[in-house]
Amino acid sequence: MTPSSEALARAANDPAWAWARYEPGAERPWDARLAAHLLRRAGFGPNRSEIDQAAGDGPQKTIDRLLQPDGDPAEFEEMFAEYERAAEGSVESLRAWWLRRMIQTPYPLLEKLTLFWHGHFAVSQAEVGRAPMLQRHVQLLREQALGDFRSLLKAVMLDPATLVCLKAEKSRKATPPTALARTLLARFTVGEGNFSESDVTETARAFTGWFVNRNSREFYPREFDDGEKTVFGKKGNFTAEEVLDVIADQRATSQTIVRKLYRQFVSEVDEPGDALLDTLVDSFAKTGNVLGTIETVLRSNLFFSPAAYRCRVKSPVEYAVGLVRAFEGRVATDRLGRALADLGQGLYNPPTSAGWPDGLAWLNDATVVGRHNLAWQLLQQPGDNKYRLDAATYARQHGKQDAVAARELFLDLLLQSDAPDAAAVSAAGIEDAARLVACLPEYQPA
Amino acid sequence: MPTSRRDFLKAAAGVPAVLSLGSVAPAFLQRAAAADPTPGADRVLVVVELSGGNDGLNTVVPYDNDEYGRNRNTLRMTKRDVIPIGSDLGLHPQMPEMKRLLDDGRLGIVQGVGYPNPHGGHPESMRVWQTGRLDAEFCQTGWLGRAVDVISNKDATDHIAPCRGAFVGVFPRPLTVNAAGTVVPSVRSIEDWKLRAKAAPVDVPQDASPLLQEVGRRTQSAQAHAATVDEVIRSGERREYPDTPLGANLRIMAQLIEANVGVRILNTDAGGGGDIGGYDNHAGQKDNHAALLRQLSQGVAAFVDDLNGRGLLDRVVLITTSEFGRTIQENGRRGTDHGSAAPMLLAGGRVRPGLIGEHPSMTETENNGPKHHTDFRRVYAALLDQWLGIDSQVVLGQKFEPIKVLA
Repeated sequence: MTPSSEALARAANDPAWAWARYEPGAERPWDARLAAHLLRRAGFGPNRSEIDQAAGDGPQKTIDRLLQPDGDPAEFEEMFAEYERAAEGSVESLRAWWLRRMIQTPYPLLEKLTLFWHGHFAVSQAEVGRAPMLQRHVQLLREQALGDFRSLLKAVMLDPATLVCLKAEKSRKATPPTALARTLLARFTVGEGNFSESDVTETARAFTGWFVNRNSREFYPREFDDGEKTVFGKKGNFTAEEVLDVIADQRATSQTIVRKLYRQFVSEVDEPGDALLDTLVDSFAKTGNVLGTIETVLRSNLFFSPAAYRCRVKSPVEYAVGLVRAFEGRVATDRLGRALADLGQGLYNPPTSAGWPDGLAWLNDATVVGRHNLAWQLLQQPGDNKYRLDAATYARQHGKQDAVAARELFLDLLLQSDAPDAAAVSAAGIEDAARLVACLPEYQPA
Repeated sequence: MPTSRRDFLKAAAGVPAVLSLGSVAPAFLQRAAAADPTPGADRVLVVVELSGGNDGLNTVVPYDNDEYGRNRNTLRMTKRDVIPIGSDLGLHPQMPEMKRLLDDGRLGIVQGVGYPNPHGGHPESMRVWQTGRLDAEFCQTGWLGRAVDVISNKDATDHIAPCRGAFVGVFPRPLTVNAAGTVVPSVRSIEDWKLRAKAAPVDVPQDASPLLQEVGRRTQSAQAHAATVDEVIRSGERREYPDTPLGANLRIMAQLIEANVGVRILNTDAGGGGDIGGYDNHAGQKDNHAALLRQLSQGVAAFVDDLNGRGLLDRVVLITTSEFGRTIQENGRRGTDHGSAAPMLLAGGRVRPGLIGEHPSMTETENNGPKHHTDFRRVYAALLDQWLGIDSQVVLGQKFEPIKVLA
């Protein structure tokens, strides 16, 4: 048994322990490793001073701050919303702005969840095309990312971008949007195998009357099928909002979301059993509170156990943004956005309604080489130094003049003590060392 | 003694780091890791999309046909203009290289290809060809993307992770290669596939987590493949390709094929990509179409010659697709409009050479173009089943009778 499956077995036997609040102790002391783990999962990875601060503050205070940052993030949000509205002519520049948000945000958890929901609802440039619509869609995800799931679901399902993406621009009484209904049930809520064909057609009827004209939605009462529908055994003359209530009420919906949050925050390695997730599903079903569910996870014993530690593969976005944040540098995010799209994670453009593949799917022969070349591009590519991470200056600023000290600094910054004497880095000069650490297999898991 | 690639990799994963497949490993070791000994496992399908709707009637020209002659005014080609290929047909004069490939038995031309009730608009019809489905509107994956998924799913059970499919070019990836479960990268330059800076040998401790060990193996394999690609880049300049975007993309593909790093499916666009491609010639078609066909002919011939010279041609089939052919009648602007049937070109060492199927009827029409007699999905099915060796029914969602397109 591996340490991660051992920890998961313990959690499965004792869900109360698993979700109980983690208290640092002899078995699992609070240190820089766990601090960085928390900051990776709840955000896009830490820099040196963030690790130090979290290590000093302890888990609870750090989590408090991650859930609700000091100061007022509203100013930052408004500023970036403004930038994005100005850039909304092109998806390429929207991408660049979003990456800058992830790099600079005072509220990383919010951006992490915005990206999570973007992968979940998977509205894509390929299907929608129109940049302003996509900008408003992601802004909507951001506004409701940490709130009530039911209200998010309702907002998303009647968002023009979603309607266009799911071919529901003209939902007439005679042509109910079955593709939308099927995707809603199979991907966004109860999941494959948990609904019948008649749930699909009846749900679709409830969405009739909604049209997208130019870039906004409109409801035409004449085209709404106001007859009785039966969905999951419930009868009523449901509207779209009402049918979404019925669907959100299904326990399977809560299971889908909780399972996905588990995969995002805890582990992609082992599938948890239903019993382990029951506590979370119960409270999510009752409250629909996304932030509350994440809080339970982040504070838990399980989260700080080997069942979660380095048990995910960084997506290309997490990989690159984490690197930029660690070195506290600036890079050209338009170019970065293109590079990430080439590696399979084009922001605003997930491949299908199932979102991006994850885990080891991110790593094949071509994408591993692509990652390594991206690290080189970010850290070493000669030429325009203005938008490149400067590892040598970073080392000097931290009082490390020689290669040996710099290597230690980088290993500690990016991997804490997880690869203390990586042979791969042992002979490298300062700039090579930074890149080689970023290329270590140990740096790929989140 | 390892008997399969899988066993080999397992064995390699167990050897100490000094023997690992780093860039210093002997070439034979690297090739052994890349080459699957199963017969046919190294076959490659290259799909070149002629986006915009290629004028099939001026590609394979029925110069003697009355309907053709009567309906084409400025765009008409006579027997004197074309390169005759028999059956009262001729190739566009800008395609002498294609004629040579035909004579050498390396080119097949499937005639009259299309699908029932064809769409008249670019995005809709392109989507049908790219997804391989008539209900394309609701299909979010491409036929090549699904094929990549099928091959990659098998790899996952074999514990290997080559990159099985890629889009080559600078445009956004078309739906054709969109996959639900596999990352299909875009390749802008062959340099993308080699390491820009020296890699360090992979050294994951034996007691590391299974995830980390797997990442280590994939890193090792990626480094070995990158080194092989680098060797290929260094081994020859390949000046023989025409200096066009298509020529550059085909050169990248030939290099990847030579490196034999496990890529099975390659896709590019010769029409410029986007919703409306360069083959869409509603006005002043003549010179633009001639230039595009010249680029296509020169590019494909360079690709075939290159692979043939290296003994690799039997591993490769290249096909062209296009969302529709064009109207029989020339419009008032010296162009043609959206039609239906058109020929598909197939090149390679193992294609069935010559004309495949009859020229479509010029009197029976759909969308004012020649009516198709062969469903394009029958060609896809042949290539999936008989060339790539994967179940076409899984990829296409139903069974189609394959056309005999392979020798």
